[in-house]
Amino acid sequence: MTDLTTLSIAEAGRLMASGELTSTALTEAFLARIAAVDHKIASYITVTADLALTATRQADMEMKGGLRRGPLHGIPIALKDIYETAGVKTTGHSHLKVDYVPAIDAASVRRLKEAGAIILGKLGTHEFANGAMTPDQPFPPVLNPWNPKYQPGGSSSGSGAAVAAALCMGAMGSDTGGSIRNPAGYCAAAGIKPTYGLVSRCGIFPLAFSLDTAGPLAWTTEDCALILGALAGYDPNDQASARTAIVDYGAAARRPIKGMRIALARDWYEGPDGELSPDMAKAMEDAVRVFRDLGAVVEEVAFPDVRDYHICGRVIITAEAHAIHRRDVIERPEKFGYTTRRRFQLGAFISAEQYISALRFRRKLHQDTHEAMRGYDLVMTANHWGAPEIFEEPQQIFHFLGKPSLTMPFNVTGQPAATVCCGFGADGLPLAFQLAGRAFDEASVFAAGAAYERATPWRQRRPAL
Amino acid sequence: MTSSNKPPTLEEFRARAALTGLNLTEEDIGHLHKGYVGLVSLMERIPERWAWAAEPPHVFRADE
Repeated sequence: MTDLTTLSIAEAGRLMASGELTSTALTEAFLARIAAVDHKIASYITVTADLALTATRQADMEMKGGLRRGPLHGIPIALKDIYETAGVKTTGHSHLKVDYVPAIDAASVRRLKEAGAIILGKLGTHEFANGAMTPDQPFPPVLNPWNPKYQPGGSSSGSGAAVAAALCMGAMGSDTGGSIRNPAGYCAAAGIKPTYGLVSRCGIFPLAFSLDTAGPLAWTTEDCALILGALAGYDPNDQASARTAIVDYGAAARRPIKGMRIALARDWYEGPDGELSPDMAKAMEDAVRVFRDLGAVVEEVAFPDVRDYHICGRVIITAEAHAIHRRDVIERPEKFGYTTRRRFQLGAFISAEQYISALRFRRKLHQDTHEAMRGYDLVMTANHWGAPEIFEEPQQIFHFLGKPSLTMPFNVTGQPAATVCCGFGADGLPLAFQLAGRAFDEASVFAAGAAYERATPWRQRRPAL
Repeated sequence: MTSSNKPPTLEEFRARAALTGLNLTEEDIGHLHKGYVGLVSLMERIPERWAWAAEPPHVFRADE
């Protein structure tokens, strides 16, 4: 058998269903790999080995007795450390929560456990999903497994790095302005920001209530689909939770895409604020060609300016994050990392008028985007501009002063958006594009992303650690 | 752009900072001023006038 830690969730599920693999063997392989190599990238804050092994024995017993909970049964998953876990520290990568042990699981963690997933531990994150990795935080920064000199992207840094380094089969992240898609892209993982309201945020540390989403990262798009299938569903404890039809995302990921219509938002990455790196630009052209070869129709479409989404989302995040963390930034500012603290303080200067204007602008952008997508199933654009930042270079306190975010548009509109790896640059670092669907049409996103992965060789390469 | 979006000078910003309830060092104020001025500059892109129908929903729905 091949190295167990590089199996896909789909492959491992088939092997367990046929009795050729046990969850215990699979989980032990991951725990051994974590012990052997995670010190090189620091993706885990907490490893819950004993709890995981207890859960695997339960899973194996159930499967041996003929009970199959679904595609996640016996599958080792890890969680960004903003997901509350009963009896296990949930730190938010912050001194403020360094000893916090929740009494109950987040709703999504409960769903994963009910689906039979095995929780391996908690992963490093930008502090409260908004700061940067700074030396004044309680845990070391997560490093990029492709080259530890580079940042892994954030804020779900540990999730992207652990998936790419084969330290878990899937990981939960959160995405308010790109925090699943940035680390997925910079680490060569797959990831999806689901439609706003599809997955409960109850029990996850909030950053901005009106934009926060929770979603999975995994090595393949199909694996993301299998995880999302366990997560999606109405939760009365999350005010934004939507009542939607149950969809078999795993089946959707195996659907052909001939005739699918894709709107290419080229203006976003070839606009007045900069251009992609040459490697990324070439990878985008190649990816468009692959989709056309697969039978999809790809046409350039004019969307609202990417800078509009960027500032709209940034004002909303800054104002809402301040409201959430205001008491702590007043009473215990020294407990935050110096970047996080200032990002949370900035919201104190935003007026109600400015915040409401941003919310109104959001509605307009949402409607204009919907109109531009008329006649198309998906939007395609670049995931990031080029290589991630280098750790040794000074980081901006306010990252919104740089190039506009390519991920923010789909936070503002609430649409589902996936990151798909489309190669590697001359520097060996991953390249990626985004696919976004209509609200609650994750199925089309998965179909296109998985079809692209099957047609290209990029899932064969892993970082050497 | 509305009047509240006019970029403040460092002195004006320092006076506003004193009213926020935040405990800020001079270094904090310097960083925050730079960040706020940058944010306000980007906010030039947000329209100034809105019809009443632009009222944002209390809970955002991506499919409405």
